[in-house]
Amino acid sequence: MWHITKREIYNNLNSLRFALTTVLLLALMVTNAVRHIREHPKRVQKYHDAVTASMNLLTSRADDSLYTLAHEGPGTLYKKPSPLHFCAAGGEAFLPDRVDSPSGSRGFWRLEYPDVNINMKNVGPDVSQVDWTFIIGYILSLIALLFTFDAISGEREHGTLRLTLANAIPRHTVLIGKFLGALVSITIPFMLAMLVNLLMISSANEIHLSTEAWGRLGIILFIALLYTCLFLALGLLVSARVQRSAVSLVILLLTWVTFVAFMPSTLAALASGFSSSMSRHEYSDRYGQSYHKLRRTWRYAWYQSNDEKMLRIRGEWHTKIAVRGERLAGEYLTFKITQVQRARSITSISPAALLQHLFEAFAGTGLDRYQQFTENAQRYAREYREFIVDMERGDPESRHIMGVREGMSQKPVNPEAVPRFEDTRNIGKDFNTAATKLLLLTLFVIVLLAGAYLAFVRVEI
Amino acid sequence: MFLTLIRRELLDNLMTFRFAAAVVIMLLLVVANTVVLIKDYEQRLADYNTAVKTHRQELQQESNTYSYAMLGPWGMHVDRPPNPLSIFNTGLDKRLGNEIRVSHTFTPTIWDADKSEAENPLFNILTSIDIVLIFQGILSLLALIFAYDAIAGEYEHGTLRLVLSHPVGRGYILFAKYIGAMVCLFVPLLVSLLLMLILLTTSAMISLNTDDFLRIGGIVLMSLVYLSLFYLIGMLISAITRRTSTALILSMFVWGFLVLVYPNLILTAVDTAPRTDTESAAYHQVKQIWEELERECGQFLRNDPVLSSAEGLGDYIYGAISDEPSRLVFHHLRRASSDLETIDAKFEPYVPHVQNYFRFFGPLTVNTAERTWLIRKPAFETIYIQPANRGRMLLKFSPAGLYDAATEAWAGTDLNGIQDFFTATQNYRQAIINYFHDEKIFASRQWFSSDQSAVDWDTLPQFSFQRSDIGINAKRAVPDLFLLLTMNVLLFIAIFLVFVKSEV
Repeated sequence: MWHITKREIYNNLNSLRFALTTVLLLALMVTNAVRHIREHPKRVQKYHDAVTASMNLLTSRADDSLYTLAHEGPGTLYKKPSPLHFCAAGGEAFLPDRVDSPSGSRGFWRLEYPDVNINMKNVGPDVSQVDWTFIIGYILSLIALLFTFDAISGEREHGTLRLTLANAIPRHTVLIGKFLGALVSITIPFMLAMLVNLLMISSANEIHLSTEAWGRLGIILFIALLYTCLFLALGLLVSARVQRSAVSLVILLLTWVTFVAFMPSTLAALASGFSSSMSRHEYSDRYGQSYHKLRRTWRYAWYQSNDEKMLRIRGEWHTKIAVRGERLAGEYLTFKITQVQRARSITSISPAALLQHLFEAFAGTGLDRYQQFTENAQRYAREYREFIVDMERGDPESRHIMGVREGMSQKPVNPEAVPRFEDTRNIGKDFNTAATKLLLLTLFVIVLLAGAYLAFVRVEI
Repeated sequence: MFLTLIRRELLDNLMTFRFAAAVVIMLLLVVANTVVLIKDYEQRLADYNTAVKTHRQELQQESNTYSYAMLGPWGMHVDRPPNPLSIFNTGLDKRLGNEIRVSHTFTPTIWDADKSEAENPLFNILTSIDIVLIFQGILSLLALIFAYDAIAGEYEHGTLRLVLSHPVGRGYILFAKYIGAMVCLFVPLLVSLLLMLILLTTSAMISLNTDDFLRIGGIVLMSLVYLSLFYLIGMLISAITRRTSTALILSMFVWGFLVLVYPNLILTAVDTAPRTDTESAAYHQVKQIWEELERECGQFLRNDPVLSSAEGLGDYIYGAISDEPSRLVFHHLRRASSDLETIDAKFEPYVPHVQNYFRFFGPLTVNTAERTWLIRKPAFETIYIQPANRGRMLLKFSPAGLYDAATEAWAGTDLNGIQDFFTATQNYRQAIINYFHDEKIFASRQWFSSDQSAVDWDTLPQFSFQRSDIGINAKRAVPDLFLLLTMNVLLFIAIFLVFVKSEV
């Protein structure tokens, strides 16, 4: 078996396709690294500036009074940029990077989830970034097919297959040898390009990759290899079934075009085109309705009177409207996210989409990450409110009427004591969300490998 | 002999497995995506119609109480209709704003438009697809699959020697091969296009006129030229390498590079994002100009003996400037106050003076807007258009980019096509201003108060927009078409030279 593997590797190393692959992958990976080194510090800087501004706002509010804190909130919360952005860009340009509070609200602070439309002013061509998802999902898969399309049919055409099998070697050994040979010879240029890429990124001064990031890179690498195996197995399967290598390549290419290039967007378009959507107008209508309903019940809240009872009513009203508003905004967000998630899960039939989702999950970009961020923000909002309530209880001079200036503590708060928003990520949690898709990818590989084995065993020479 | 050669090529190609597979896949993809794209277009058209209706209602009901001056901050709503040919090439049609307010206080541009979006904005993270993209990927692949063994295959089988033993020129052989393959490749294109047209005509909401069919014809022509270019690339590789296996591998790498790698690589390597960092300089200049207007108005009011001494008049005439830094736009807002709709009897004597003031102030606002436009226009040019054009330019080094740009131009979804709409809104603004001048509206009482008679908004000039003439589309597509054709001819000459000199 090792002989076969070795022969395959030697054969491949000397071929034109090996040289072209190396050049192509190197060019792509270097571009990817250069882009990341150029853009990432800017992203991080922007995030830090924004967070500092928010913190300053929070400090000034805390210095003012507890009521201001409750009324104005902790300032805008920002999503932390991922250091592994070069692995998967994840359509970050189309995803909001913050949660906000609505401007000009009179009562309590509440969360709101703004939409972004960054691209509305960009009149340039559509940009799809060269990230690892693209390099591995599109280019490496195509190259894997180019390495295996003639693995068996080519030998059969030249008659060398008969020669090999005339020796006392079982067929599965030949198959595994060929598979390993192709895997090694495709891994060499890929690893080379990837190492250059990582070397460039990790040696850049402004970029620091933590231990956790390296761990995540390891997982991403494993997924990449699994994905390559899938296409190698597919190539072997078709190559074993088909008599001529030209036909084999045509079949493989057409399969590739369908499953990798067009399936994800077609399926996503189908899924999004045929699902009903709640528009922003509908959402604001709903909010307006619930607002007016509440307003009817609490109409006394608008009397400009400062006696205890009136204050209580007004406080209740402000609390109620904040809770209702935040819940509605949360429901709308969940609705939007689930709708897109559903469309995305349909695209999982395509291995390229599967790879993209897995990369996004482990690189910490994309829709899953956005969802995680909003969950973090919601958790923080609860924590923040609890803190306000605790502080309020601790002030003996206050009248303890939440939501109105006259009823709440007017004392300044120690800014250090206010909880800070931390946008944390958990690799275990990422693993859980990705587990199904990882299993699906593994299943694809196993099925295709088994298929290749069966096809090769039954083949007549 | 020539016809015999062509017939042989046709039969050779048509009876193959690759042909059947290609046709099936292409049809599947085109039909599935056409259905989705048509639905998407219908949705956008429905959104457009609702937007037009609601804006009309708003104008008739809510704005009844507005005076003309409210046009400054509110503006007349104008909606951009979706382009039916965006089904072929979406281009910028879906991405850019489709709702704009036209008023005399600023010149409307793409960057002032808003988007009335009924769709879930998160869907943007999923990659979108259109028919040209499918053609771009599959047609080129098909052409290469047909071409890789055109010459190399015949070498290997020895049939080339046989053919050449007949008294046929080598050029004829090449030409026959080319014609035969192109006819074959045209079949899947034509069939999928016919299916598309059938689907398009079954939709009740889509109405295509003669010009649109001609534009589709232009897109088909581009597709043909693009197809032929890739076939010639494949043939050149085939003629040079002489071995089918090498030719195949090389063709695939060339395809991967031209269609897949190059467009993404170049846009990643060269920064083509809008240069918003240069925005603030222009912003400050524009701000200064508006502050100048504010000063001049103050001057006028102080010099007027009546207005300067009148107390409580502020609600009628003073305003505040509100700005939108991202758009480099300022609005002169009238102070929103409930007694706008009525004028107290005690202010009645001042009315002629206020009218006099607005006779001065109205044209001055228009003038100031024109002056800011002189700054805004080059600013938009450097911030948005130049990087975008640089990106487009770089993309055109790949035939795929040329094909995309040319079909966009035919469909009218390119930057020029969208600009046409905004030029129309600019003309509309001019028409409104002319109307104001002609009817002396700036100096009228209705300008600042609707107490005597409400403004009849219907008497204002109406907006109308026609997509550009087919001739203009053609003119925009011609340079790219010409480039593609030149590449075709050069490649054919190269193949001919290689083939003539090669030994059999």
